[in-house]
Amino acid sequence: MDWITILAKAFWCGWGAVGFGILFNVPLRTLFAIWICGALGGFLKFNLLLLGAGVVSASFAGALAIGISSIPTAHFRHAPPMVFAIPSVIPLIPGVFAYRTMLGLIKLTGAIGPDYQAIISDTVNNGAKTLFVIMSLAMGVAVPMHLMRKESVKNIRLR
Amino acid sequence: MNHPHEKDINELGGVLLEAGVNLLSSGASCARIRLTMKRLAASFKYTAHISIAPKSVSLTLNNEADALVFNGMRSITAQGVNFKTISGISRLSWDVLEKQYSIQQVRDELDRLMALPHYPRLVILFFVSLAGSGFCFSFGGKLPEMVIAFGATCCGLFVRQEAVKHRFNPFICVYIGSLVASLFAGAFIKAGLNINFEHAFATSVLFLIPGVPLINCFTDLIDGNTLNGIVRGINAVMFALAIALGLLTTMFIYNLK
Repeated sequence: MDWITILAKAFWCGWGAVGFGILFNVPLRTLFAIWICGALGGFLKFNLLLLGAGVVSASFAGALAIGISSIPTAHFRHAPPMVFAIPSVIPLIPGVFAYRTMLGLIKLTGAIGPDYQAIISDTVNNGAKTLFVIMSLAMGVAVPMHLMRKESVKNIRLR
Repeated sequence: MNHPHEKDINELGGVLLEAGVNLLSSGASCARIRLTMKRLAASFKYTAHISIAPKSVSLTLNNEADALVFNGMRSITAQGVNFKTISGISRLSWDVLEKQYSIQQVRDELDRLMALPHYPRLVILFFVSLAGSGFCFSFGGKLPEMVIAFGATCCGLFVRQEAVKHRFNPFICVYIGSLVASLFAGAFIKAGLNINFEHAFATSVLFLIPGVPLINCFTDLIDGNTLNGIVRGINAVMFALAIALGLLTTMFIYNLK
């Protein structure tokens, strides 16, 4: 993975976020900000993966960046932070790990063969990754709002 | 607004409850519903006490002397995730405070917000399919897989929209969407195209992931709205199971391993 690939992935993460924004019927004025938030999260995640971070911590960092950047964006675009944060983190959801977990679980219902142990390890590994990535995404989005300890973004001073 | 008539209080209570249930069915977190309703009530100088159940909102209003003036409850109507509603009602709650709206003005503005249109269907289909190919790329897919993911998402979403229109159970709608999308993606693999099977197949159903309940589940749990959080979490798991079941059916039909 080189820089061009990372930029391209971030670009497509942004489009993924916009697609989900349109599916969730966000106001038109927020779409560009959603693209930026999604691309930022994707950029950070794939960059950290390149630097050798685990998928869980990389996803958490991406989600945290989205959560934090959604607060000033909410201020300037006049919409609640979740409107920006939820579509933007969806491209970070580990679809392939979830898929592998499901396949592994199905294989585990079959007969016990010589590779049964290997399937168990793979499935548990993929399942744990899926679970913890999804948890870290939700945390990364939810925590910045609570760290501010304000009732609403309108009360947060940005300067 | 110092001594409103009883009719006004009933009208205000009705408006507040309507705002609350609309937020709930559009996918707002419990903290946001509570905050918005309390802010609206406070701008008319009432204190609101709110209880949010998974499918209904109850409200009592007390006046400045802390005497009970309104008591009501409303259950949600079926409606999908709609962030335009959430953002609009949240904005309305600020406008009421700043511009001193009357109850009738709040009612009119709420009615206007609820009547706002969705994006045109073709736009939704195109951009969600684009998102599908975007996911495919970010998981390492190349151009052929991205095109397949685009087509699969388009077909799956179209069928799911039709199923929603015919008022099927929401889980069945997701199952049908997942089944159609994976059948589309699987057909190319079955036809013997030299593509990465996993990328095309796993990303074709990603447009169905229950992102809003999943994240609201955690938001509610952190806020201490434990019951609502658990309900949303279980909902999200049920949707994920419906997606998996759709994929499984396809794998059974095509006999894929």
